[in-house]
Amino acid sequence: MKGLLIKDYKLMRSQNRFFIVVILVGIAMTLIGYDYTFITSYLSFVCSMFVLSTISYDEFDNGYAFLFTLPFKRNTYVKEKYVFGLITSGLAWLFGVVITTAFQLITHTPDFSMIDWLIAELMLMPALWVVLAVMIPCQLKFGGEKSRIAIFGAVGAAVVIGIVIVRICDFLQIDLAAVLNALPSMGIGTITVLLILIALIVLLISEKISEKIMAAKEF
Amino acid sequence: MLEIKDLQKNYNAFRLHCSMHIRPGYVTGLIGQNGAGKSTTFKSILGLISLDGGNIKIFGKDIKDIDEDDKQKIGVVLSDSGFSGYLTIKDIMPILKNIYEAFDQDYFLNQCQNFGLPLNKKIKDFSTGMKAKLKVITAISHQAKLLILDEPTAGLDVIARDEVLDLLRDFMAENEQRAILISSHISSDLESLCDDLYMIHDGGIIMHEETDVLLSDYAILKVNPKQYEKLDRQYILKVKEAFYGYCCLTNQKQFYLDNYPDIAIENSKIDDVILMMIRGA
Repeated sequence: MKGLLIKDYKLMRSQNRFFIVVILVGIAMTLIGYDYTFITSYLSFVCSMFVLSTISYDEFDNGYAFLFTLPFKRNTYVKEKYVFGLITSGLAWLFGVVITTAFQLITHTPDFSMIDWLIAELMLMPALWVVLAVMIPCQLKFGGEKSRIAIFGAVGAAVVIGIVIVRICDFLQIDLAAVLNALPSMGIGTITVLLILIALIVLLISEKISEKIMAAKEF
Repeated sequence: MLEIKDLQKNYNAFRLHCSMHIRPGYVTGLIGQNGAGKSTTFKSILGLISLDGGNIKIFGKDIKDIDEDDKQKIGVVLSDSGFSGYLTIKDIMPILKNIYEAFDQDYFLNQCQNFGLPLNKKIKDFSTGMKAKLKVITAISHQAKLLILDEPTAGLDVIARDEVLDLLRDFMAENEQRAILISSHISSDLESLCDDLYMIHDGGIIMHEETDVLLSDYAILKVNPKQYEKLDRQYILKVKEAFYGYCCLTNQKQFYLDNYPDIAIENSKIDDVILMMIRGA
């Protein structure tokens, strides 16, 4: 897996101009006092997309055929993509947290609470993981162009599932609003841990789906 | 080393059905026209496509059981695929070092320099010949036991081709237990390199012969209709009509030299054999 991680790092480095622009935009947004939570999410979401472009590079010009003659299993390739996505988005998240926290401390932002701030930032992680969990299998299955359509489809499906859940709750006379209102009583820390656990499960399911997608591919 | 038994793969209008045996110490060539089934055979061996029938064994193991350790001992060149064009040779070196346990970085670097390959240029900006050289150097830089080379000399000029073939000869000379399976459109490459030749046409193996036998015992007989009438045809493999009468392929040149001193007998080259095997009746 180390060799594959190095390959993706080298491919990412070939896009260093784009990378620098993303970081500069993040720093500029911090300096002009933009919504700090948005800055971290912007940096980490954009950087998590790098994993998708490494898949495109691998696939381009029938590259998969040679790649899968190298001594690793297809499952290892899939796992590496998730690890790479988690590393890039995690590092970008960390960078975002460090610069926005430092800036708020230096400028003595009023009502700044380190704990509340870090929990708010931590809540970004499960959202990031779910995005990765949707994007990676779509990219592996459909490739660059078609995966965008597939992602729109996935979002549509999520909306439909949401509506169905609401209808089912109505039918079973479960008051969803009351359940949601009760959430704050659980404490923000508990909710964050719960969300992280749910995101981890989604990520694991997604990884298994991706393994199946790659196992069925012919090159 | 590599055994293909009744390999079957079906596409819409194409059916591959072949068997081959690649022995240690041998360079085995696979010749055929475009679309004959060479690449499908290579992809089947490498596990890149599923099989519809038959089985393939590498190092005595079924390809379904081939693991990373076995793949460490295989070097591959594919005509239409390689490392991403957005990488440079300098990028590739640490990748190979971390993928292949026996990767010899000094050898790799020396060969790249010998062939004048730029280390910092993106592969997508390489010429076709440079890409071909890099693929071969990559395949032979990790002490592989088996090389599977699909059109490794494609796009190379005569000098570069000779250099690449020399690399392959050196690779074989280093260890007698190694083996190469190679395909090429350039029959002179195969003539000078291969010990054993398979000819594939329309998805089936139509000929298997040792190169020495093919070059010494096969011949083209050029006969007029009268000579053709009297000709003993028990050793004639294929016949094709020509403006002077008939062109016949035999694998018993000496028989006709001894018994028919008045007919024109030409030593056959691989190209002649291919042509006769495919176009002859």
